[in-house]
Amino acid sequence: MGTVVSKQGVLGKKHIRMLEKIRESLEKLNEKMEIIIELQKHGGREIQPLPETPLDVMTLLSMPDHLRKTAMTVCRLGRATAEEVAQQTHRARAVESAYLNQLVIMGYLKKERKGRKAYFYVEKENQG
Amino acid sequence: MGKVIAVHSYKGGTGKTILSINLAAALVKHGKKVCLMDLDFRAPSLSTLLKVEKADYWLNDYLNGICGIDKVLIDLTERIRDGGKLFVGLANPTTEAIRDISAKDRKWEMRALGRLLSLRNTLLNDKGFDYLVFDTSPGLQYSSINAIVSADLVIVASTLDKSDVEGTKRMLKELYDLFEKKTRIVTNKVLYGENIKSVKDVRSQMEELYGVPILGVIPCFCDVSRAKGTLIFVEDKPDHPFTKIMDEIATELEKMKV
Ligand SMILES: Nc1ncnc2c1ncn2[C@@H]1O[C@H](COP(=O)(O)OP(=O)(O)O)[C@@H](O)[C@H]1O
Ligand SMILES: [Mg+2]
Repeated sequence: MGTVVSKQGVLGKKHIRMLEKIRESLEKLNEKMEIIIELQKHGGREIQPLPETPLDVMTLLSMPDHLRKTAMTVCRLGRATAEEVAQQTHRARAVESAYLNQLVIMGYLKKERKGRKAYFYVEKENQG
Repeated sequence: MGKVIAVHSYKGGTGKTILSINLAAALVKHGKKVCLMDLDFRAPSLSTLLKVEKADYWLNDYLNGICGIDKVLIDLTERIRDGGKLFVGLANPTTEAIRDISAKDRKWEMRALGRLLSLRNTLLNDKGFDYLVFDTSPGLQYSSINAIVSADLVIVASTLDKSDVEGTKRMLKELYDLFEKKTRIVTNKVLYGENIKSVKDVRSQMEELYGVPILGVIPCFCDVSRAKGTLIFVEDKPDHPFTKIMDEIATELEKMKV
């Protein structure tokens, strides 16, 4: 009996790992789709993100409300995942992910992958 | 955790500086650890009014990334008898410094916002401050909007002057609301007369007009004007009606959850 249980346990773990991999791949795919959709909205010509643009308060003021909320949250947190932003804004993770990627394309945020997580932050490399 | 209060206004001369100083002093009197900061880099006042002419480092230096915030803060606890602690951060009042900060670009302003936000964390979380009070420049100045974005609460000082009232109304909709800031109005320099007979009148009229709560109504006091800013009324004139109003505002702030 004991061996059967442990075998099932091993199988279970394998399954979970596989499902996690699928989820990961789907998330990556989803992000790519969001970027493609965004680029299409901009005429599909610009393949590269816009050059880095400072995210200062005047820029924040002139942004559409939904993006400002996301951008402000990243400013406050310094560096955050879509999940962490979603917790603050009380909007869905997928929604925040779309907005964050849009802000990256607009040149306001930077994105960095660490393992399975994508972090978004305001570029401050020249900060003294 | 502590709170950050930005004192702002549409026009100049509405009483931001005098309110900032006395509000900080009133909170100290209530036993709080308070840091008062001069973020009016266009027209710095606190160094003169608090008679601290020499500072090793200014807030300008902190925002420029030249030093940490602990180098800037000056302990003025002795200025207030009995209470908590008072620290100040000063803006450099020299013409050269004002010119320098007026010429900064968007990228610098963005980093200044980052440094203000991190100052907030350092002082509230690590140094145990209960309140940071930001005195700001009037209107849509970069440094003021940075201060507003970094604050938990914006106190808007407004007189009953028509242009001031209209400007304040616009800022409520087009500035504070956009950043989802909790906002309170202090109506200052009130002269009673025909249409305005009491504090209650002002409160109801202004609340109706602005659609946000009125935190305080302060009459125009000749004593305040005569003192030329050299007195901290809350400390130096404990029985003055101005002091009483500031004490009530401080009490109200302590009750507020931000
Ligand atoms: N309630 C008041 N009664 C009389 N004078 C006042 C009152 N509030 C402010 N003042 C005076 O108005 C002037 C401007 O005040 P200040 O605090 O420097 O305004 P701001 O910082 O908004 O430019 C100062 O001379 C100050 O003493
Ligand atoms: Mg002032």
